Amino acid sequence: MDKKTVTTIAYLSRIALDEGNEDKITTDLENIIKFVDQLDNANVDGIEPLTNPLEKKAQTREDKVTAENRKDTFLDRAPKSNEDYFLVPRVVE
Amino acid sequence: MSIQYKSIKNLTSMLQNKEISHKELINETFTLIESKMDLNAFITLNKDAAIEKATLLDSKKNGSSLAGIPIAQKDLFCTKDLRTTCGSNMLSSFIPPYSATVISNLENAGCISVGKTNMDEFAMGSSNETSFYGNVENPWGKNLVPGGSSGGSASAVSSGIVPAATGTDTGGSIRQPASLCGITGLKPTYGRISRWGMIAFASSLDQAGPMARTAEDCAILLNEMCSHDNKDTTSLNEHIPDFTKDIDQPIKGMKIGIVKEFDLSKLDSEVVKVFEESKKHYESLGAEFIEISLPNISLSVPTYYVVAPAECSSNLSRFDGVKFGKRCDDPKNLEDLYIRTRSEGFGDEVKRRILIGSYVLSAGFYDAYYKKAQQVRRLIKNDFDEAFLKVDVLMSPTTRGPAFKAGSKGSDPIQMYLEDLFTIPANLAGLPALSIPNGFVDNKPIGLQLIGNFLEESKLLQFAHNFQKTTDFHLKTPSGENI
Repeated sequence: MDKKTVTTIAYLSRIALDEGNEDKITTDLENIIKFVDQLDNANVDGIEPLTNPLEKKAQTREDKVTAENRKDTFLDRAPKSNEDYFLVPRVVE
Repeated sequence: MSIQYKSIKNLTSMLQNKEISHKELINETFTLIESKMDLNAFITLNKDAAIEKATLLDSKKNGSSLAGIPIAQKDLFCTKDLRTTCGSNMLSSFIPPYSATVISNLENAGCISVGKTNMDEFAMGSSNETSFYGNVENPWGKNLVPGGSSGGSASAVSSGIVPAATGTDTGGSIRQPASLCGITGLKPTYGRISRWGMIAFASSLDQAGPMARTAEDCAILLNEMCSHDNKDTTSLNEHIPDFTKDIDQPIKGMKIGIVKEFDLSKLDSEVVKVFEESKKHYESLGAEFIEISLPNISLSVPTYYVVAPAECSSNLSRFDGVKFGKRCDDPKNLEDLYIRTRSEGFGDEVKRRILIGSYVLSAGFYDAYYKKAQQVRRLIKNDFDEAFLKVDVLMSPTTRGPAFKAGSKGSDPIQMYLEDLFTIPANLAGLPALSIPNGFVDNKPIGLQLIGNFLEESKLLQFAHNFQKTTDFHLKTPSGENI
């Protein structure tokens, strides 16, 4: 883990690192990765990954409308919206 | 008559015998809350709506099981029309348009939500020090942390303001604060309580649960909190028993496993002494002890610190400043909007976990970290499966020690991560586990953890209630008197 890697993952995460704090973040992340490297001690040959303790298939249901349309309620709570859409800065000139 | 430190059972009987009206109970609860603002246990209060509901309950007969019981809700659950911050600046003005299923379940059973409790930001922390809304005080001592992430809930119950609170537990966030504040807290089996309306941190680990003074009260709350919910695809569609039904049954002849790999020799001798005394106590109640080996359990914390950040980085990508929550001022373009909103809205620990998550999920590292952690997760679950062929419950200390001073863990995040050494394994395997007060170290409470097999909350509560019927650790209060 070096500064360049940290910069890349910060960009992938859409997070800006505080200037002046980059060394501390790099060291912290490096230590955490070193800590989780203990996983190398386990023999996992042929072991299926466990993604969820229930190991059940996601339940399916009939595709029918159960909720009322509350467009206005949700748009009202957005930081910026008009009567139909969430608004963001212009993407296409 | 003071309502402070009263249990749900006590308050229900006071209400039924008309020793107190619903409105008086809620008014007194707010008097207590206001007299203990220095704890910083609450982020948002729900005073007007609470008094309105109490007044309504006074005016008509109500047979609901928890009618009028004041409850504090962790600020991670969406509450309709009541601000829900998740301890973060990102949601400082978020008013949910709906309530979480578990909140609706409790309110439909008659509970009155008095406020939203402080917590580590997005439930990431073990001391409540990562909250955007400031540290929470543990009522047992000045400047002591209450644990986390459900620190505000634990502090509110421990100080006797409310008899009950909700919490959530991803790696120990109910049990660890319960231990540090001297109360009882239960993390049910993964899937028992709907996650719909819970702000997600790590979806394969998150589980809501009750926090209260006694195991009996936790059972009463759990009865109402559980439900099968079509809105949560991981919600269990299993029989929900009456969790209070068997708690009085004796535990004579039942088997308790002690985990060989939990190395207690590294703990403070006073902590070990308290644990050994609890073992003796269970022996006197007729339980038998068996040493159990869980060979992969020492890898629980590293496994967790891959799985949880990975799921967190994915879940928290929804906070983009577009649909709800905070948005930065004057974004130059869409990317600037995302980056500045997230950089201003999240605190350091949340950012750290998102970065770790992005790293372990990135191309080239996925197999080495994420896949491997999930494989080890299966090994840990297999160890538990085998253990429960031999024992009824597993027992350990809940925490490595009692509450510590704020700021005392230094700036190394791993020191804080190790706080959850004993609690994380149950989350990885999806098992129910609880913490009950079992003694004091330096005049600070400490807890005993019991882990049960899949869906066996009733058995855990039975073990806990048998302990509490014959001990008084759960009756001690920070203000000195016994209840």
